Amino acid sequence: MKKYIYIFIVAFAFYSCSAPKGLYSFEKYQEASYNYLKKADEKSLNKIMEQYQKIIKKQKGTRNVTPPGMLADYGFFLIQRGDLKAGKENLNKEILLYPESKIFIDRILKLIEK
Amino acid sequence: MKHSIYLLLSATLLIVGCGTTSKLNKAQAYKGMYEEKPVSVLIMPPINRSTNVDAKEYFHTTLNVPILNAGYYVIPPFLSMEILKRESAYDSELFIEKPSLKIFNKIFGADIILFTKINKWDKSSLASQVTVEVEYILKSAHTSEILYSRKGTISYNTSISSGGSFLLNMVASAINTAATKYVDVAKAANNYIFTDLPKGKYSPMFGLDKEEMAGLKVIKVRLPR
Repeated sequence: MKKYIYIFIVAFAFYSCSAPKGLYSFEKYQEASYNYLKKADEKSLNKIMEQYQKIIKKQKGTRNVTPPGMLADYGFFLIQRGDLKAGKENLNKEILLYPESKIFIDRILKLIEK
Repeated sequence: MKHSIYLLLSATLLIVGCGTTSKLNKAQAYKGMYEEKPVSVLIMPPINRSTNVDAKEYFHTTLNVPILNAGYYVIPPFLSMEILKRESAYDSELFIEKPSLKIFNKIFGADIILFTKINKWDKSSLASQVTVEVEYILKSAHTSEILYSRKGTISYNTSISSGGSFLLNMVASAINTAATKYVDVAKAANNYIFTDLPKGKYSPMFGLDKEEMAGLKVIKVRLPR
């Protein structure tokens, strides 16, 4: 009987420390972000764009929704590359998905119009 | 005799394994978070007082993920960096002690602002251990009150890969080995620090974690566990 109690305690110790599955999945986004922030060249931009596409296309997190900020930053980079239409579309998608972003994204959209 | 050894071992594991908690529950420790119910978080560029010039970027690019996974809206990092630069507000030192942070609510729609200070980044001579000392301060954009803060001394063993991702990282990304390792250090530190943050609007635990015991404000930890 005592043996079972020990097993239970040990199991609990492991269980209570294990990281639960996150709300979202991010692929290699953090590494690509660092790389882009540091280098800001064509190659590092391509890498981070790839990561946004993957994150937007498929989510493995528990919410199964694109995480906040991804569509907006992706849109921002598209605009920087000259793809204004697709860029704006992504910015608007961010507002639809996350209405709290409206104040900020509307400001960006206005800046683009200028 | 044997039994008591088992018991002692399991008890030690239980204590060591989960770190220490304060005597307060989250509702007491993070009263402002539960009252204000912030949704949007603005991440300010870290203040780097360490000797590692890249430490700022290691931390800056790995702060949003743990906060997103805690259920908050994080203002798009690259877009916000661009606007902060345009408004000559990229230097966090200018704002960390400001009595009013309302301007960030007006421009970004932010409810809380995250400031980080990297005080130390020490690499051991064996090059397999990095020790960082970092402060995290989450301030309300509405009241400027500190809603959540941590001062952590975090030692990270870079020779232990986190879930076998290290090799994958090397192959998958174009960054060099050292940078990948150090991004891992910042990731581990940031993930650890925000595990105690009350859950936000997008988490199924939103508002339900008040009775959980809160962690300590000053921590010392070795990662990965």
